[in-house]
Amino acid sequence: MHGMTAMTKVEIIVPARDAPGMRDLIAAAGATGYTSVPGVSGIGHHGQHCGALLFNDVDTLTMLITVLPHERAGELIAAVRALLDGRSGVMFVTDTYVSRPDYFQ
Amino acid sequence: MNLLVQTHVAQAARDVIAAWPVESFIAVNPLAAHESTRFEDISEPGVALTLTVPQYRQAFAAGRITRADLRSAVRERLSEVAGFAPVDTGIEYRSAADVLVDDMLACHHPEPVDDAEPGDALERDVVKWVAAYVDPDPRWQMPGRQHGLYAAWRRLAIHDPHLPRTARHRLSLLPAHAGPALEACLHALEIRDADTVGVLRAELRALPGWTSYLKWRSEHTGDVDLSDYLALRLALRVILDLPTVLAPSPETSPATIDDLWERAELLAGPAGRRDDVAAIAHVLALHPRIDHVFTWQAAYEGHYRAALLDGLERATAVPASADVQVVMCIDPRSEGVRRHLEADPTVETFGFAGFFGVPIRFQSFGGRGAVDSLPALLRPRHAVTETPAAPQRARKRIRGLRALDAAAHALHTTENATATPFALAEATGWFYGLSSLSRTVTPTLHRTVAERWRNLVAPPTPTEVTIADAFTLEERVTLAEAGLRMMGLAQFARLVVLTGHGSTSTNNIFQSALDCGACGGNPGAVNARAAAAIFNDRGVRERLAARGLAIPADTVFVAALHDTVADTIEVLDPHLVPASHTAAVSAFTARATQVADQLVRERAADLPGADPGQSLHRLRARAHDWAEVYPELGLAGNAAMIVGPREMTRGIDLGRRVFLHSYREEVDPTGDALQSILTAPLIVAQWINHQYYFSALNPDTLGAGTKTIHNAIGGIGVLSGHSGDLRRGLPWQSVGVGGTLLHEPLRLSVLVQAPLGRIGRIVSDNQVLRNLCDNDWITLTARADAHAAWHRYTPYGWSRISTPTLETETP
Repeated sequence: MHGMTAMTKVEIIVPARDAPGMRDLIAAAGATGYTSVPGVSGIGHHGQHCGALLFNDVDTLTMLITVLPHERAGELIAAVRALLDGRSGVMFVTDTYVSRPDYFQ
Repeated sequence: MNLLVQTHVAQAARDVIAAWPVESFIAVNPLAAHESTRFEDISEPGVALTLTVPQYRQAFAAGRITRADLRSAVRERLSEVAGFAPVDTGIEYRSAADVLVDDMLACHHPEPVDDAEPGDALERDVVKWVAAYVDPDPRWQMPGRQHGLYAAWRRLAIHDPHLPRTARHRLSLLPAHAGPALEACLHALEIRDADTVGVLRAELRALPGWTSYLKWRSEHTGDVDLSDYLALRLALRVILDLPTVLAPSPETSPATIDDLWERAELLAGPAGRRDDVAAIAHVLALHPRIDHVFTWQAAYEGHYRAALLDGLERATAVPASADVQVVMCIDPRSEGVRRHLEADPTVETFGFAGFFGVPIRFQSFGGRGAVDSLPALLRPRHAVTETPAAPQRARKRIRGLRALDAAAHALHTTENATATPFALAEATGWFYGLSSLSRTVTPTLHRTVAERWRNLVAPPTPTEVTIADAFTLEERVTLAEAGLRMMGLAQFARLVVLTGHGSTSTNNIFQSALDCGACGGNPGAVNARAAAAIFNDRGVRERLAARGLAIPADTVFVAALHDTVADTIEVLDPHLVPASHTAAVSAFTARATQVADQLVRERAADLPGADPGQSLHRLRARAHDWAEVYPELGLAGNAAMIVGPREMTRGIDLGRRVFLHSYREEVDPTGDALQSILTAPLIVAQWINHQYYFSALNPDTLGAGTKTIHNAIGGIGVLSGHSGDLRRGLPWQSVGVGGTLLHEPLRLSVLVQAPLGRIGRIVSDNQVLRNLCDNDWITLTARADAHAAWHRYTPYGWSRISTPTLETETP
């Protein structure tokens, strides 16, 4: 696709208090970076979730987005699935294309 | 480390609740990991969720719980009861609810089984090395500490003569770093993948106090994590040939056998016919014996709540205008001050979280290090310092502080060197002997002399907090608007006093548990000063006026500090008070002095070892007495939180048991302020409430036990005796005296005056509030306005409750 490189994008939405553990896993899986979006809102399996709160950074949802080569994604996906087992949180995995593959190697 | 092993560690650790170090004690719900579970469905070995049935029956005999309370609790918990026709008991027809109450009063309850977890075989080695690693002020720094806990331990333990030679040899063969070592140990111990999480969880539960502290440290300091700790523990098991254990699953608990027929026979009496017994048994089947304690607890709480709602009917009117408005922390200890201050009709008071909506990291002028003076729910984003107002005096103070610091350092070094302590004792022993004597016999005098000496060497200098550097104007305006809307403050007096609180005690490692929880276990003085500076900022006022919150030009905000032991209120930064307001401040100070004296005597009635007849000097001397284990009672007794205008509670003695947050829906058109109250101050109040609740019920497992045998490890925490687990929670002296509880373990009753739709929407939007309300961790009762009926929140919507009347029926 227009000279872009195929990779795997993993998006994880978890309670903010579980986000540090997820970030550790992403780093340990060899991802070179991630994007963290605090205070995301929406409706899910457990009902509604408001967005950012003025005086509470902990009881909100955080979305983590990372992109990594296909060969490294499998292990991270398995680890996140295990960690989400029985807990609040979702993961989306999609194919994506990046313009600067060396940033993600 | 293998990603799968790291995942297993994270899975095993996710139910561990981080415990703050005792030097910045933050109350937490020790069972917070279970908040998504119904309260009564929790299964934690060695943890009591309620009082015992004999304790409830004692309360029943004393009239603290009445038959009417039990009937209400039964109807509330078992809605099916309403569908039952009266039951023929053989003697008379009784309602199903009455039959169930009779059963609760009569049925036999076996002694609870002691299901405490077994001791930890690794305790001695683990505690010795972990304490050495995390000690902030050790005699010798642990060599290799920079490589992490496991690596530093392994390097030293290879030479530890307490370990057998073979163990040391085996240790030398293990990997040098935690990740690979953990993998190698799991392999050596032949732990299957399916069992790994259970084994790791059992290791973390062996010393839960240390585990909770290390989790906090991994999140805040980052110099240790639970993988390191687990690697150390499993390595010890490998080298000492100790088997691992698997954490028990709650599902494996044996089911309790319910003797339904015997209970029914007991109620029917010896002459009871088989049909009557069967009819009674049919009703009793609704209420298994293991559920009785939760119905007792509901009745226990229902009685308090009914009395509280009943009392609110007697609130008095708030004066149309006031000369002084005093904003105090929601802390229940403020309630007494507010009640006494309001005996003067020209004083109006408000309740707001004690950080006054200004979350900061603060470094005092000339001070070393910084403190995070903000709720534990927030990360510090704004660093605030002080600027001296008198540069000449400031230089003298800095010189003095340096001299004191150098002297303290020299003394510390001399005390801790190998030979010099003997010379030190010879040279200065007489001085310390006299000092100890005066400290014991005349604690207040000792304190006064020490303070004067310190002030002579390093004279205090007036300062001002630097809000302009820490917050942009827009941030200041946002915080100020949020604060005013949250506390419903839209009409202003000439003088507004923002009063934080702090506690004074001596030789008390749990001192910070008595300070302000909303300020991260610190006194709230700096937050009050920063908030006053923001509200006095002309630029802030201009923008607030544009948003419909006009603060009159002649209104001045001043900061103050309430000392919760002496109950005195000290006005801070007096040099910043304009001349136009000094008379008003003086009048307020005089009023506050009278209030302090009244309140100290009032509190003395409940304080162990105190008597309201004692002199004020003696009552206040407790703050300086180094043998005093009850300087004050802190938040013991806390039971409810009221969110609404002061008209709801003014003139009522709430016994210093209620968190009071002011709120007016007319000042909060969007509902955002109420959302902030319910998602922040309410959460903190709930943490505090459950900390007291579980410390009272479980002084040995979730409480810190008695202070009298505590040994401190730096500012980290305490051990009971010389080894063992790091104690969690509050000491026994915060919740009890002798064998008697000072704190009634009641889950928080939250009362809110605001439109029900607004409250319901906020709860629906927030997972944590849903968990707390739906799973019975708190109760939520609300009314739309002062004339509306009270409604109780249920998972199915609001349920109207009958007009509260406290029934005085006794057994």
